[in-house]
Amino acid sequence: MIDTILYGLTIGAILYIFSIGLSITFGTMQIVNFAHGMVYSLGVYLFISFLPWTLRIFPLAMALAIAAMLPVAYLIERFIIRRLYGESLDYAIIATYAVLLIGADLIKYIWGTAPQPVSDPIGVPLVVLGVVIQLYRVVVFLSAVVLFFALRIFFTRHVIGKIVVAALEDRDGVRALGLDVNKYFSIAFVIGSGLAVLGGVLYAPITTSEPYMGFHILLLAFAVVIVGGMGNLTGTFISAFVLGMVIAITGRVYSSAADTMVFVVMALVLLKNPIFSFVRRLRGRPAHG
Amino acid sequence: MPDLISTSKLSKSFGGLVAVNRVDFQVPEGQVAGVIGPNGSGKTTLFNLLSGYFRPTAGSVRFLGKEVTDQPPYARVGMGMARTFQLVSVFNSLSVWENLVLSSFHRRQQGSRLGSFFFKPAREASTLADCRQALETVRLQDKAGVFTSELSYGDKRMLEIAIALSLQPKLLLLDEPLAGLSDHEIGEVLQLLHEVKDNFTLVIIEHKISKITDLVQRLSVMNEGSLICEGEPGAVLCDPNVRECYWGRETDAC
Repeated sequence: MIDTILYGLTIGAILYIFSIGLSITFGTMQIVNFAHGMVYSLGVYLFISFLPWTLRIFPLAMALAIAAMLPVAYLIERFIIRRLYGESLDYAIIATYAVLLIGADLIKYIWGTAPQPVSDPIGVPLVVLGVVIQLYRVVVFLSAVVLFFALRIFFTRHVIGKIVVAALEDRDGVRALGLDVNKYFSIAFVIGSGLAVLGGVLYAPITTSEPYMGFHILLLAFAVVIVGGMGNLTGTFISAFVLGMVIAITGRVYSSAADTMVFVVMALVLLKNPIFSFVRRLRGRPAHG
Repeated sequence: MPDLISTSKLSKSFGGLVAVNRVDFQVPEGQVAGVIGPNGSGKTTLFNLLSGYFRPTAGSVRFLGKEVTDQPPYARVGMGMARTFQLVSVFNSLSVWENLVLSSFHRRQQGSRLGSFFFKPAREASTLADCRQALETVRLQDKAGVFTSELSYGDKRMLEIAIALSLQPKLLLLDEPLAGLSDHEIGEVLQLLHEVKDNFTLVIIEHKISKITDLVQRLSVMNEGSLICEGEPGAVLCDPNVRECYWGRETDAC
């Protein structure tokens, strides 16, 4: 049971770290950004390539991979995402999905299609209540918690964070303050992309990396963002762990249904309002009272 | 007085709908101008064009003698143009004071790097003093630490105006500042506008014409995207075209 809970917390941590950027892009720019999956997978492959060069020092290779992907993220924002502001949702999906496909093909071209395993950088097992768990997974979970509080401080104390939060609420209002809102969206986008790479690298020793890894996590992350509320950063944190636990528990009972259950939960959340109004109607109260 | 802001044949279409149609609109420096018109007549679209939120389909906007048609909203704010919105725009997730401090952020960023190194503390002190002054002007100083989400709609409107005032504008564009307010709150906002109107040029969109006839020196009337009448408020309200578009044909003449 403990290993199931820890697995859920680990998956939740990865989903949270990956989903932050997606949630901010959704909330501020109303853009469904599939390119986030490309940044994630390309970042992981760069990390795998950097590992031997950095004498297998995991944090160093991770920092290099994030640093290498930040300019790529900036270029995606500057030349693709920024042109999609205010355009129809379909254009954003088509354009960013194209970036995701290009990323997957680029990975296949450079690194091939074979899955790439990464060994556990800590490799220390812990015995908790007679169950062996990996210390690395505990570290991944704690990283997400630390990141959550660090981002909270950034978004509530730092002026750039406050501007992004204000823009999540009212983009035009921020413009009226004389602030170049696009500049702050760029900063938020690049930070979110850096976190996607961080999530990918932390996940690499738990799973195996393959060219289409970005597609899989994107679908789960969209569920996280929808359940948590688009642009709601605390909601994203909670929903990532709830859905992580859903994956872990379902996987233990019937592994084939693990991902499906995530979308069942998402569908229930989307149906929440109709369900609530149905319940209210049964009780004879007005639907929106 | 020279025109502080002027437009030339300004037009904006959304697909087949012409929202603003070849409008020539001028406001001399120091004037309080009103823009009235029925719902959907293009008043807010005109404001969005003046403040840079929309790019015009044709025509141009000049502000302080410079062509600003292609300037984004933040650049126009930097030149001294502030605006408020029809639906009050303040940040509920921040406190009243944080709303104001955010508005002063762009001014603290201005100037050269060397200049900001030497003068940053002085500039910060001066912009924060402007924020405090704006808060006192709208009589919200006692609520500085309150979360904006807890304010009444009238106080939110006052805060929005305070934010605009703290930007030290040369031109203030107010989009229906009385909408959604109680009679008491309307009185407070009007009193405030009378107190501050001499500090800048003011353009105000309003539906409640009777409330602003004392405030404005000139009225412009829009209908179906075009300016149909301009002039001194008394004369404009007696204009047969204006009376027809506002009250229909069956109205008595002035």
